Amino acid sequence: MMDGHNQGRMTFIYRFVIYAIGFLLFCEWLRPLETVTETEDVSVFYIYGAFCFFISFLQVQWWLSMPLKLIGMAFIIDGLYIGERIFSMEWMTIVYEQILFNAEVIQTREWWQMTPLFRSLLFLILLWLMSYLLYYWFVIAKRMFLFVVMTIVYVTVLDTFTVYDGQWAIVRTFVLAMLALGLSSFLKEMDKESISVSNFRKAHIWVLPLVLITLFSTIAGYASPKLDPQWPDPVPYIESAAGGAGAGPGGGGAIQKVGYGENDSRLGGSFVQDDTPVFKALADGRRYWRIESKDTYTGKGWEDTLAQPVNDVGNVEYKTFTDQVETEEKSSFIRMERGASFNKLVYPYGLSSLNEEIIPPGYRFRVHENTGEIDTVKGDSPGRLGEYVVRYDFPSFEYQQLRAADSEDPEEIQGKYLQLPDSLPNRVKNLAGQIMKDKENRYDRAKAVETYFSANGFEYTTDNVPVPKKNQDYVDQFLFETQYGYCDNYSTSMVVMLRSQGIPARWVKGFTGGEKIDTTANGDGDIQNLYQVTSSNAHSWVEVYFPDIGWVPFEPTQGFTNNADFYSDINDEDEDGAATEEDDSTTDSEIGNPQQVEDSASNGSDAALGSASDRSYAWVWWTLAGAAAAGLVLYFTRYRWMTAWLIWRYRRNKDEKTYEKAYTYLLTVLNHKGIKRNPDQTLREYARMVDTHFQTNEMRRLTNSYERTLYRNEDQSKEWGKVTELWENLIKKALS
Amino acid sequence: MTQHTFLFQPKISEVMKNINKVMIGKEDAALLSLVALLARGHVLLEDVPGVGKTMLVKTLAKSLDCDFKRIQFTPDLLPSDVTGVSIYNPKTLEFEFRPGPILGNIVLADEINRTSPKTQSALLEGMEETSLTVDGNTVSLSDPFFVMATQNPIEYEGTYPLPEAQLDRFLIKMKMGYPTAKQEMEMLSKTSGKHPIHEITSVLTRDELVDLQKEVEDVYVDRTINHYIVELVTGTRNHQGVYLGVSPRGSIALMKAAKAYAFIHDRDYVVPDDVQYMAPFVLCHRMILTSEAKFEGTTPESVVQELLSTTSIPVQRNISE
Repeated sequence: MMDGHNQGRMTFIYRFVIYAIGFLLFCEWLRPLETVTETEDVSVFYIYGAFCFFISFLQVQWWLSMPLKLIGMAFIIDGLYIGERIFSMEWMTIVYEQILFNAEVIQTREWWQMTPLFRSLLFLILLWLMSYLLYYWFVIAKRMFLFVVMTIVYVTVLDTFTVYDGQWAIVRTFVLAMLALGLSSFLKEMDKESISVSNFRKAHIWVLPLVLITLFSTIAGYASPKLDPQWPDPVPYIESAAGGAGAGPGGGGAIQKVGYGENDSRLGGSFVQDDTPVFKALADGRRYWRIESKDTYTGKGWEDTLAQPVNDVGNVEYKTFTDQVETEEKSSFIRMERGASFNKLVYPYGLSSLNEEIIPPGYRFRVHENTGEIDTVKGDSPGRLGEYVVRYDFPSFEYQQLRAADSEDPEEIQGKYLQLPDSLPNRVKNLAGQIMKDKENRYDRAKAVETYFSANGFEYTTDNVPVPKKNQDYVDQFLFETQYGYCDNYSTSMVVMLRSQGIPARWVKGFTGGEKIDTTANGDGDIQNLYQVTSSNAHSWVEVYFPDIGWVPFEPTQGFTNNADFYSDINDEDEDGAATEEDDSTTDSEIGNPQQVEDSASNGSDAALGSASDRSYAWVWWTLAGAAAAGLVLYFTRYRWMTAWLIWRYRRNKDEKTYEKAYTYLLTVLNHKGIKRNPDQTLREYARMVDTHFQTNEMRRLTNSYERTLYRNEDQSKEWGKVTELWENLIKKALS
Repeated sequence: MTQHTFLFQPKISEVMKNINKVMIGKEDAALLSLVALLARGHVLLEDVPGVGKTMLVKTLAKSLDCDFKRIQFTPDLLPSDVTGVSIYNPKTLEFEFRPGPILGNIVLADEINRTSPKTQSALLEGMEETSLTVDGNTVSLSDPFFVMATQNPIEYEGTYPLPEAQLDRFLIKMKMGYPTAKQEMEMLSKTSGKHPIHEITSVLTRDELVDLQKEVEDVYVDRTINHYIVELVTGTRNHQGVYLGVSPRGSIALMKAAKAYAFIHDRDYVVPDDVQYMAPFVLCHRMILTSEAKFEGTTPESVVQELLSTTSIPVQRNISE
């Protein structure tokens, strides 16, 4: 009695430990979510997971566990998304409507429209199911090896293909897995030998070697030398082949596709080219297509804290410079493509109005005064404007004017655009100071920073760009550690450096000019070029504030040309040889970056080239993957298609050999399906076993006939029809 | 192992029913005796006294309408007590041959290991030959001729163990074993009145039996089965615990026994199950274990079981010859 109790307790403890390890392994699945997805806080999922696991472990009746888990789920949904009092009428209504809405969305397969609440709900249900599954695997079946392998594969895949750093996760998984496997194999052994844990007196001593071995192998594995990664980061190939609309550089910090996106709170990470067309623009030259600016640098990325005020207007005007700047009236026709995933206007500098005639009725525009974001609204919800014509006063900035600009900024500007995080390392500021040391005026200072990168061997790349670590500053990492990156790195660094020296600057997002695909003349005889702007043209650059002039665009990114226009009065032409360029539709001025003069057309074609070669790699990748997948599918379904083929074949051939092959194949299939035949088991004994398993007598009948063929050397072709039927039935039963 | 759920050959079924009227829980022993009888072999029963050895043979003899003889072997028994003796007849002035008990159809040689080897061999030689020479007269043995010898386990005092060469002449060696408590209860209640042996009648004539024996000879044994038998038998020769493996005579015996067993189950061809069932009874007494193996507790039975479980059953025809 005492023994039984003791044993029960011991097994309970072991079971608990194993299940707890299962939970910890499962946590390894949740952990990367924070890094890899946009999930902000996964702790709530840990809590719910632990809750479900705990209830599963208690093995209470379903009528108790189900409501408990549902209530837990309700509380989490309530805490995360719903303001109403929990389980109140309004609360219920909200949940009901959410579910209804998402059900519709699922029916129409518009997955992206699914609301966060519903996605979280689904995820919680997944956790619930996992708790069941793992309970079964770990505690009942004691077969955790598969899960362990899956966990390791999961971590390594995430480590390889995303920014998630799985170094410690692997170590943790390994330790946990070793312990769990050791424990379970011990328990299994006990079961097999029918030894109760308590009878085995020194039962607990064995834990010691298990722990020691685990520790030893962990330390040995950790300390031993390892090869460097044996292949280059495969992400770009795969991503480039994946296609689809861009989420924008600066999503959650994971591997991204280039394109315009709204979330820039975590910059960094590699991204791949994406040639999805976003819009076509008819213009006389290459323009920056501006969308918005951002003002607050967090050390990791950009936030928009100046979203207000918003003017809800019928027509729009948005100018970033004063009347002192010379302008030329122009207009552009813009047609958005399917690839555009945002409901905002893209516009050139100096936007003065939209041609209302071609704007469909019902559209309104909300202009964010500070950022320049112009939302397109239809009715009350965001609506995408298909095509529109913008009229704009294209600015040309005069060098002397810029150099002579007063450096007294209005307080409002100072307050908004000199912000820097406290965490910004001093060396950034020092470097900025050093770069601008000898420059006297704001323009030259800005220019010095703009050209600093190309003059100091910074490299433009979209591959292997790291995300700053927890205590690392995005700009600091770029300036002092990596020294390679793409537009976000360059533009953010320039803004931060300027700000650190008291020059108001802001970070601007939009698109570069795009690729010229056609040239036409409009009614007035003006030459207009048609530009194709794709996700790859998504870009960020810098605007620097000059008192009395306004915001002037700068282009610090390696290999990119400033699409804004600068000129010198003939009289003042004393320096800056490159500054003589006039507005030219094909060659934009490239100031202070002579060795890197690169037209954005060639830039565009470079990108196209790059993605083409990516695609050719991708082709290989996909073919290999496809072949591997096909191979796997064929392998796992081998009994099904082989059976189909053999049935077809056996119906035709009626000789003894075929019969023999068919019967042996049936044995193989049955064996594969878990009804194992020992080599010393006679066919009759086995047939009886199979029949007991399937509750028939077909195997016995078939075996009788087969025995007559094999051991009696009797011709069974007369009974062929009956035999084939039995055989087919059995094969089907075995495979079902 | 027991396959009594299978249908018996109709005539054998009758015999079995008859035996079951008298013997309780001895189906296996009865079946094995019939196997030996049909395969024209002989049975050695090794067991303690009083478990029904004699009763089994008597019942068998009575069911078969055969001539039943019994020889009780004692240390002072002479060969002529077995074979018969010529006695001078003063009336005819000639020696007349008085046949001994060996000239019956079914002979029970009780406690065969209690007598001297000389007397033992008189019986054993008769078992192998179909005729016997006594005092210059050649006497044919009866047909059918079936010897069921019993012996006490050899550890018992005052026994002359049978030499290996003699043991080889028995097709089957088996044990009766004690009945279960339930069987013993049933047995007591059955024998409390008139003994059931007196109530049974013969169900098979002598000629029918000879016909059945001929039919058994015609049972088909496929090459695959022969291959299986040979693999088993050579297995005993290569087994490291076996000092002397089963002789080729053993292979033949196993094949014959399997044929008879198949026939009893109303099949005219042998399947591996037949061989598997018969192997322990046919092979065990034909091998000698090494002293080490004996010391380690290995028995011939365990050797045969091991071989059965390691030898693959032929399930396809393409076996390597």
